[in-house]
Amino acid sequence: MVALARKTLVYEWRRYLPATLAVAFSGMLLLVQLALVFGIFDSAAVYINASRAQIWAGYPGTQSIDLGRSIPRDAEMRLLLDPAVAQVEPFQWVNGDWRGIRALGSVSVFISGINPAADGMAFARAIPPALRVRLDEPGAIIVDRADLPKLGIAVGQSGILNGQRVYLIGTTRGLRALGGVNIVTSLATARQLNVGGDPRPAYYLARLRHPDQAQAVAARLDPHGVHRRYAVWTAAELAGRTVYYWLFQTGAGLGVVFMSFVVFLVGTVITSQTLMGAVAGSISEYATLNALGASHRALGRVVMEQAGWVGVAGLAGGGLLSSLVLALAASQDVPVSISVPGIVACALLVLAITLLSGLLAVRTLRDADPARLLR
Amino acid sequence: MSTAVAIRGWEIAKGFTVGKVTTRVLEALSVEVLSGELTLLSGPSGCGKSTLLAILSGLERPDGGTVEALGEPVWKLDRKALQRFRLRHVGFVFQGFNLFPALDAVEQVELPLGYLGLGPGETRRRAEAALDEVGLAHRRYMRPAELSGGEKQRVAIARALAKRPQLLFADEPTSALDSVSGQTVIDILHRAARAHGTMVLCASHDPRLIAHADRVLRMEDGRVLADEHHPHPPSKPDAAP
Ligand SMILES: Nc1ncnc2c1ncn2[C@@H]1O[C@H](COP(=O)(O)OP(=O)(O)OP(=O)(O)O)[C@@H](O)[C@H]1O
Ligand SMILES: [Mg+2]
Repeated sequence: MVALARKTLVYEWRRYLPATLAVAFSGMLLLVQLALVFGIFDSAAVYINASRAQIWAGYPGTQSIDLGRSIPRDAEMRLLLDPAVAQVEPFQWVNGDWRGIRALGSVSVFISGINPAADGMAFARAIPPALRVRLDEPGAIIVDRADLPKLGIAVGQSGILNGQRVYLIGTTRGLRALGGVNIVTSLATARQLNVGGDPRPAYYLARLRHPDQAQAVAARLDPHGVHRRYAVWTAAELAGRTVYYWLFQTGAGLGVVFMSFVVFLVGTVITSQTLMGAVAGSISEYATLNALGASHRALGRVVMEQAGWVGVAGLAGGGLLSSLVLALAASQDVPVSISVPGIVACALLVLAITLLSGLLAVRTLRDADPARLLR
Repeated sequence: MSTAVAIRGWEIAKGFTVGKVTTRVLEALSVEVLSGELTLLSGPSGCGKSTLLAILSGLERPDGGTVEALGEPVWKLDRKALQRFRLRHVGFVFQGFNLFPALDAVEQVELPLGYLGLGPGETRRRAEAALDEVGLAHRRYMRPAELSGGEKQRVAIARALAKRPQLLFADEPTSALDSVSGQTVIDILHRAARAHGTMVLCASHDPRLIAHADRVLRMEDGRVLADEHHPHPPSKPDAAP
């Protein structure tokens, strides 16, 4: 069988280029917006993702980590008693009000009180141990270097946090929060800053001897029942809850859906128009084949095969474009985050665009009426 | 040379309605076309040659009348069966060559053979033989853009002949060509009729083709006015009336 679809595509590639580009750009737009949105909202879960704990205990029904409330101290004991647990530490959460020396007005900040031991789990991925142990000094704080302009402070300088003097002992990366500035202190400093608040911590973190058991251990450690005073989650579960809470609370999730719909629509219009134009341009050839006995179904297969190749080429181009754009974004400290399900979802949408466009172009074949060739 | 009746048409009627005006193009036209000869439908522009060709070849449904091709009642077949009939028995050559720009000459000819379910070896063999028959063996790897108009039409004829159809229809096959190329094309069609016993029905308003036909049906206003046989076509092809 002569490979009509493929040969035409190669020979008349200019004609199919707009469709391929439309598919490629649709794929790129879909993936990049998803990566941006998840990149931004992943920072809502930075406390979890930057820590080395597999298990988190917190207030029951907590939708997002920043909405945590104090839980009873006996949660720590209960966690430690489980043989699968290797290490437990508290995590203090305090809302703060910052005044820098360069009087920028007040900035609302989130204070994370963590265990300053070298093997502490909270923010272990973001704060190197050497810097971390220096949090032991009273009033020592660490922030993300990107937040320095907002705080109006440099390393070694001091500022006023909740009415008390604190010192910036160092900066790091990967601490940026959503909608505020993260300030990391020791548990002791956090207690000092928590004026009039509940002195009990909001979370307990636990590291397991076998990290892959997280799900089973979390289910075992959760007290269950409506009257429980704390709940236990895996880190992934709490991070997922947090990201989805922000996605839907801010309407960004709906935005993603809406934007994907727009991209889908535009991609389909351009792709199908190009394919329809290509079919219309060869309509008398198709009609001749039909006169000679090729069924419309067989001709439709040729058009669908072309759409398929356009989709494959567009997918490859879109993948390349996306990696370039995402690499550029990452190099500029723009938060981006891609996941395998995200990539698969975008690829499926792109294939749906080409499939739908192909089907629309097949309809153009109805004009392939051989009687019109006789004039 | 077989002279069996290949196609019979009885009382064929056809009209076209444009807006509120209905024009009767063919009225109670009856005709028989024989195998193994080139029959020319001749007549002034608009007299209904192409319309008759379309009805006899199974491309356009008549308003009334019957068409029997190779013993099959063409317009009683359903769409699928009609398509199958065309696939197995009918070849077409149109005024426009309708070749796919991306394919070379052999592929153009092979393409419809694929739908017949022939193997690749047989397909290639038939395609090369058909190109040889139209004198284009040396051009077989050229694309339409590299072929002259006459050569393109010969590729189109090879595409129709490679199927080995019993019925070959040609509508104005020479109208887009200069007189020399036109002559070559009509000679090929004529030879094909003789060599394979094919019924060749050719519609044309070009009077120069009359000399090449075994039989000429002169049409006017949707009727056949004269049915002339030329048992011995003149050897000098230019002898146009
Ligand atoms: N699809 C159509 N719709 C309306 N009228 C049509 C249609 N097809 C043909 N006709 C009319 O039918 C008449 C016969 O047309 P036909 O094409 O059969 O003529 P012809 O003899 O082949 O002419 P020519 O030598 O110019 O090709 C013409 O008057 C034409 O206008
Ligand atoms: Mg005509």
